Amino acid sequence: MASGNLKTLTKGFVSENPIFVQVLGMCPTLATTTSAVNGLGMGIATTSVLIMSNLVISIIRKVIPEKVRIPSYIVVIASFVTIIDLLMHGFVYDLWKTLGLFIPLIVVNCLILGRAESFASKNRIVPSFLDGLGMGLGFTGALILLGIVREFFGNGTIFGVTLSELKLFAMILPPGAYIALGLLAGLFNFIGIKKAKMKKSTNK
Amino acid sequence: MLEYLKTGFVLMLITLIAGLGLSFVYNLVKEPIANAELGAKLQAIRKVLTDPGSGKLLVDKNTIPETTAELKNFEWEVKNFEAKDGIIYASEDGKGKVQDPVYKFSTDDNREIYVLTGQAVGYGGDVITVAGFISSDGGISLNSIKVIEYSQETPGLGANISQENIQERFYPVSNQGLSENLKVNKDANVVVSENEIKEYRNERGIIQVSDVMTGATITPRAVTTSLNAMYEFLKKAGAE
Amino acid sequence: MPEGTRLFFIFLSAMLVNNFVLARFLGICPFLGVSKKVDTAVGMSIAVIFVMVMASIITWILNLLLVALSISFLRTVVFILIIASLVQFVEIFLKKISPSLYDALGIYLPLITTNCAILGLALLNVQQNYSLIETIIHSFGAGFGFALALIIFSTVRERMELYEIPESFKGTASALVSAGLLSMAFMGFQGLVKL
Repeated sequence: MASGNLKTLTKGFVSENPIFVQVLGMCPTLATTTSAVNGLGMGIATTSVLIMSNLVISIIRKVIPEKVRIPSYIVVIASFVTIIDLLMHGFVYDLWKTLGLFIPLIVVNCLILGRAESFASKNRIVPSFLDGLGMGLGFTGALILLGIVREFFGNGTIFGVTLSELKLFAMILPPGAYIALGLLAGLFNFIGIKKAKMKKSTNK
Repeated sequence: MLEYLKTGFVLMLITLIAGLGLSFVYNLVKEPIANAELGAKLQAIRKVLTDPGSGKLLVDKNTIPETTAELKNFEWEVKNFEAKDGIIYASEDGKGKVQDPVYKFSTDDNREIYVLTGQAVGYGGDVITVAGFISSDGGISLNSIKVIEYSQETPGLGANISQENIQERFYPVSNQGLSENLKVNKDANVVVSENEIKEYRNERGIIQVSDVMTGATITPRAVTTSLNAMYEFLKKAGAE
Repeated sequence: MPEGTRLFFIFLSAMLVNNFVLARFLGICPFLGVSKKVDTAVGMSIAVIFVMVMASIITWILNLLLVALSISFLRTVVFILIIASLVQFVEIFLKKISPSLYDALGIYLPLITTNCAILGLALLNVQQNYSLIETIIHSFGAGFGFALALIIFSTVRERMELYEIPESFKGTASALVSAGLLSMAFMGFQGLVKL
């Protein structure tokens, strides 16, 4: 049982990474990773919503009628997003201001709706919690990674610490976001393919 | 039929519970939110009341307002100007605006400091700047500024106006610099070397930003536009 | 600035200068998902433009009510429910009128609900304090901008199918890099319009 739970938790890190593998939640990924700290903030906010919505949906999964399950999930998710928005507004004002429009947009992060539909609605509370946590962490990790890349090449800093004189502005602008993510995705795929090849040859 | 009623009912129930939950959280957070917003504003006011060179407050620290009520005490009732939709003055070309209310403080050595909030359209929306102007025998001078709204500017470009080392380029400005009308160096067709930054700013009103805000002129230009509007307003309101 | 000119600029700004997909990062999931063929791209675009304009109008009106009742914090929930309902309606409508398009769009039709471009547009209309007319024009601009980006991109991708792409870059990775180049091209529009 424990190993099943561990797998549930960790699959979101690499093998089913929301951004690099599942290609979900693209909008916030590209928009909020202009710096590592922004990516981190967005990741934490999204993870909180993901965990809470997975929990609630798992708890009420037997009560939700099949026909209206999508609207129901949406109401739950939107409520938690609003709660996170309000809490951030009151307690982490500067980060809230920086993330701006993208906090309410967590609602349409296909990752959250996707997990609700494919996991939380069919699994018990603890696995749902772990799934939410794992996917959220994988998501956050990817955001931080992209944020670091863009911040480093675009501004020479990582988490605000100046490390180089590099200032390729394009990295902070939209084109840079797309290209950086594309290259990272290519890298992930490359690693994935290599791993699969190695597994194949050791299995032979 | 019953099936539809049941599904409709459950959905309504979920929505109702969600709505109630949200109202509950909203009421809980209402005060921290108001405090956060006020805090940001007071922080800006405090900053523009500080002398940039020495870092010391120009007014008695006990008079710095900490609540909305206290802040109201410093509102300056300006004759001949009526605020409309929160705007008390707009420059002739309409590009720079001054928000209502405007505040007046007195320094320890009996000069007046006017704290104004100005706005101008930047890249994607309004760029809002809080500025402190000192009125003394030599006329009005700009003490310090804080740009408080820039959320519609491009992240990594115009939005860099939030950085203190960039805002520093804008102040202080002597009376002469203000009367020359502030402009970003690109609009003056010059590039100012590091050791001449202060001179150009104070003698010709030229703000050097092209080296730290490459490719983003619109945002700093919005700041100078709003500062000019604020200066114009102060002159017309008889602060000189 | 005369009202007509301002409206034109709002349209142009939303469509080109601040293109929702290439500059604002909204609507990327369908952008990457539906852009493999030009026909589906066109069909999706039409559906999105329709939902965008309708949703903007309805949410704008409802927002007046929310503000009047001081329950603006319910904005997100209300807006997304409107969009979800509208998409349901479009689904039913499309199934009747054009079953082939309905099938072609497949899973991506209900996914219009989670198209952040629509919710983002609705929220932006409110944030920028647009009047109803400005909202409508803004929505058309955003919709056409989305369509433009999507259709151009689908033509690029159709061509890319014929190229030899390294294994690791097949699929999303190369799509993203291409999107980046397209985004760079659109940056040429900056400065076109100053509202």
